[in-house]
Amino acid sequence: MKSNFIYKSIFAVAILGMASCKPELKDITLTKGSADFSRYIAVGNSLTSGYADNGLFLEGQKNSYPGMIAEQMKAVGGGSFSTPFFKDTEADGSGHLVLKGFDAKGLPQIAAQADHLAVRPESGAVTLFTKYTGDLNNYGVPGIKLLHITVPQYGNLNGFYERLLPGNAPGNTTPYLDFVTAKPYTFFSMWLGNNDILGYASSGGANPADQPTPKATFTALYNMAADKMTANQAKGVVATIPDVLGTPYFNTVTLASILATVQATAPTVTAIYIRTGAGVSRAATAQDYFVLPLLSAGVIGVPTGGIPYGLHPLNPIESRWVLDKDEAAIVADYTTAYNNTIKSVAAAKGLALVDAYALLKDYGAGKDVNGVRVSAAFITGNIFSLDGIHLTPMGYSIVANEFIKSINAKYGSSIPIVDVTKYRGVKFP
Amino acid sequence: MKKILLSFLLAVPILGYSQSFQVNLQGQKQTAMGGAGTGVALDEAAVFFNPGAVSFLKKNGVQAGISPLYLKTAFRENGSNITEYNKDKIATPVMGYAVFGSPANRLRFGIGIYTPFGGAMHWKEDWTGKYTVTSLDLQAIYIQPTLSLKITDNIGIGGGLVYSLGKVDLRRAVPITKPNGEASTAKLKGDAKDFGWNAGIYVQTVSGVSIGVTHRSQITAKVKNGDAIFDVPDALKATMPTKFNAELPLPATTSIGLGFYPSDKTTIAVDVNWVHWNKYKELAFDYDNNARIPDTKSPRNYHDAAAFRVGIQNQTTNRLALRAGIAYAMTPVGKGYVTPEVPDADRLLLSAGLGFKASERFLIDLSFLYENVKARNETNIETGLSGEFKTAAYIPGISFSYKW
Repeated sequence: MKSNFIYKSIFAVAILGMASCKPELKDITLTKGSADFSRYIAVGNSLTSGYADNGLFLEGQKNSYPGMIAEQMKAVGGGSFSTPFFKDTEADGSGHLVLKGFDAKGLPQIAAQADHLAVRPESGAVTLFTKYTGDLNNYGVPGIKLLHITVPQYGNLNGFYERLLPGNAPGNTTPYLDFVTAKPYTFFSMWLGNNDILGYASSGGANPADQPTPKATFTALYNMAADKMTANQAKGVVATIPDVLGTPYFNTVTLASILATVQATAPTVTAIYIRTGAGVSRAATAQDYFVLPLLSAGVIGVPTGGIPYGLHPLNPIESRWVLDKDEAAIVADYTTAYNNTIKSVAAAKGLALVDAYALLKDYGAGKDVNGVRVSAAFITGNIFSLDGIHLTPMGYSIVANEFIKSINAKYGSSIPIVDVTKYRGVKFP
Repeated sequence: MKKILLSFLLAVPILGYSQSFQVNLQGQKQTAMGGAGTGVALDEAAVFFNPGAVSFLKKNGVQAGISPLYLKTAFRENGSNITEYNKDKIATPVMGYAVFGSPANRLRFGIGIYTPFGGAMHWKEDWTGKYTVTSLDLQAIYIQPTLSLKITDNIGIGGGLVYSLGKVDLRRAVPITKPNGEASTAKLKGDAKDFGWNAGIYVQTVSGVSIGVTHRSQITAKVKNGDAIFDVPDALKATMPTKFNAELPLPATTSIGLGFYPSDKTTIAVDVNWVHWNKYKELAFDYDNNARIPDTKSPRNYHDAAAFRVGIQNQTTNRLALRAGIAYAMTPVGKGYVTPEVPDADRLLLSAGLGFKASERFLIDLSFLYENVKARNETNIETGLSGEFKTAAYIPGISFSYKW
């Protein structure tokens, strides 16, 4: 009898053990909080569209941060989300860059991938793409500035926008802001303003047609956009613009790296000469920035007019390769002013705010994310794509999580984060 | 049934044990008694538990056993709604002991083979923490020839030389994207052969209480020229390491144990272990090619940690002995240092078992150990992996012994 009792007891323990074999974590309650995610729309530029590797293509579109957010919103009542995908047969979209390998010096060999383009015959000088028809939630248009959102003819000037419109260039008259707000929505993200300074910066300040949007204009337009986006009581999230000077585009080619390359064959060279935006030829300093395309341009030291390029004050590196100290100060100044506007509008409108400027500064400086070392290093940093400005799928997933955290904090929702490790960095051959 | 279970849990002390990658399954009787056994001369496993008690064993014997270890860990990244589990993978620590020499003599000999450190943690290849670890198989088998001398009728000392055979196989994803969009992987495989020792003293006091004190030395498992196998894109193949060196301290353990004998048939064992984990400061890998993969030094900064164990054995009938135990092991892993290969936390151990005497010479011992490792929400300071771990382990065991 006694041993029978004990056998039963041992059996009981075994049953208990098996029943609870899988350890359970505390349940989490998912809620949409005070927001309604049933129709989420994403308003923005290339970053919103999933642009990467200097192009918009299917894989990039599939890894856009709005797409990731929308997928996660489904856990708290989010509706379907349509991205204007290129067709599988035109998966290279506008064409994009791929890494082909490294040369003997370790320099990356980067080439264009353009086998399956989605290009239509041009309208004027504007490259057009195969039209997208169907539902739209991701309204990201590469290249668009805040300055453009009220321009009626913009649909004839930007092929990526034209692609989304029903009409053909040059007959379009719908401003971007009207287009995105035409159909009712319950929640929006708006990440605009980057291109209002990016074009100036990436062209080394040398393109007269691409100057910074005046600060007052930016403020007026941003307020107007926020008014319009929230006119139907929709809640939303906006983001500041990242520091373009912190991207690999401006930090891969440096005075030190140019000097090191030159000195490998000409040890006596101690200065590199640039032409500033103001037209002055002078020795470059560590405060001047060089643009990423200079890395593969192969021009430094090559004699033009008998003088080695960039090594003599009489044949300095052209202004388009250089964002000199003064131009960089302009970029920093406008970026700060734009971001102050974005922050104050977000606060005034009660919108969630993603400080993308702080976010990319933080990750760019080097950070460990689930065992992955990410940084702003070109190619090896995992978050910036081959164009040095736009992000990799992993980079976009980090951005998506920051949006999710901001939305959750503002509206008391609990949209689950994405798993950053499911997304790739730069593809190696 | 519930009542029986409850009364069982409340009335009978149970036991088991383990800490980080330390494994405490060295004898089925002791495992069934919460892992206590330093202060008692139970059986041949005294070669491990207290070499000083070997000379007090009433018979010679040989035994062999196995404790298949089933460990399940849940992980949920903070902010996520997905719970991930490690794969089902059974580790099989084995143990075997023999004791020789005339029980009438003061000097006895023993040999033990056991697995004091190990682990088999396998996560899915694409889990959230894949860049920290996808799998770790670790095993250190100790072989210990032993001498035990009864100095007086009541005091025994003993010691053994330990030869350690270590094996490690660590795999993880590497954040370099292959042409197919998947992550690269690394596999680090190596062996280590090292020496250590185990010594103990066993005293039977006039009050009837027995006392044991033991110390098992640290062994630093040194992997030299282990294989580093990196599966990476072709463009980077030449820049990858192929060999690595690493060291892993298998910490020293100091134990004190007491044995109480409330009746002829009942033995109560109480142990306290002090595991000198503070020597595990970092896990460093030194690669033969650092062109792209730098040497790594992962901080661990473990601190010493204690375990408390109580077990009881009742010789219920001539043929049947019943055992139970309970133990509590403090984690050596500090805040910010929890890693998914060893998601350690304070743990409670409950154990039970029985011994069956098939004949005067042949015995079978069974044990079952349940380990409940506390839930722990952590952000690792090295990898940034942030989430909650919860682990439970189920360890049945069996051993056969033959006595003469």
